Amino acid sequence: MDNHQFKAGAKAALPIVLGYLPVGMAFGVLARNAGLTTWEAGSMSLLVYAGASQFIAVEMISKGMIWFPIVLATFFINLRHLLMSSTLSLYFSRHSLRTLGLLSAQLTDESFAVAMSNTSKIENRPGYLFGLQIISHFAWITGSVGGALLGGLINHKSYGIPFALPALFICLLLIQIRKVHHFYIMVVAGIFSLFFKWALPGNWYIILTALLASGIGILINSKVQSSKPKIPLNTPSPL
Amino acid sequence: MRPDIFCLILGMALVTFIPRFLPMALLSRWVIPERVKRGLDYFPISILSAIVFPILFFNGEGRMEIQPHYVLSAIPVFIFAWKVKSLWGSVILGMAVYWGLGFVL
Repeated sequence: MDNHQFKAGAKAALPIVLGYLPVGMAFGVLARNAGLTTWEAGSMSLLVYAGASQFIAVEMISKGMIWFPIVLATFFINLRHLLMSSTLSLYFSRHSLRTLGLLSAQLTDESFAVAMSNTSKIENRPGYLFGLQIISHFAWITGSVGGALLGGLINHKSYGIPFALPALFICLLLIQIRKVHHFYIMVVAGIFSLFFKWALPGNWYIILTALLASGIGILINSKVQSSKPKIPLNTPSPL
Repeated sequence: MRPDIFCLILGMALVTFIPRFLPMALLSRWVIPERVKRGLDYFPISILSAIVFPILFFNGEGRMEIQPHYVLSAIPVFIFAWKVKSLWGSVILGMAVYWGLGFVL
């Protein structure tokens, strides 16, 4: 693994760290309140490493539920990673299953989005993605254990902490808007996601939105290309 | 660690790992048709939209309801992030605005 790439990836993880530390702490606090030990909270962050499902697991544990309903909920919440893993697979051909296993084990919404903000940096560079992901994971574990140990020392609802990850996602979304039709896809996906979240239980809205909005994206793109064939694809967006 | 909690964590870890790993393991070994590849190009935008917009219009319990605190914090971040594509800057600005709004709202 290339040391230089690893360092570059680790550096790219810093905005995620800023979001993961306080949110991880919030998880640690809630896990302790639900009756988990610091060890258990830390192990969950180490082995599962999937924010939303961890919060829901802790919520269900505090209500006395255990085992099957929690594992089932976790499965459905994290099914959305299928899409991210499929996308990332395009950038990692000819790598060993061990490398791919290592990379995919630490895949999260945030690290995926940062990786996609500049795909030239990840293409067949497992070191970069590994650095990005392991630093993020480390921040998540540190936050969780810290939160479990220190308890309510810091109020995780203050200092703008609830908006750290939303702000990160907004910027990552706008980085993806490179052409006019990307903007339309964003609007279409936004509307779909609101409708599906309203209409369907759980996290299905993310998967359905991604499939439908991408399908519409292909249609828009083929129209754009057939009507204006002379314009090169990398023309900067006039937006 | 209690054995039942440990088994729960292992179960969660396993069902989380499978959808993360399978596409990467299988698709990286196949030749993907151009059309599918172009569709995958739009996944990041769609997924990120599907993460961002519901945050602004749904409350914590999953009911649809405009979240003024989030919407008002998001507007400056949208503008800033569009002009300056800085992740750090966006996170700091978003947190500062959200914190500041806490005193007003």
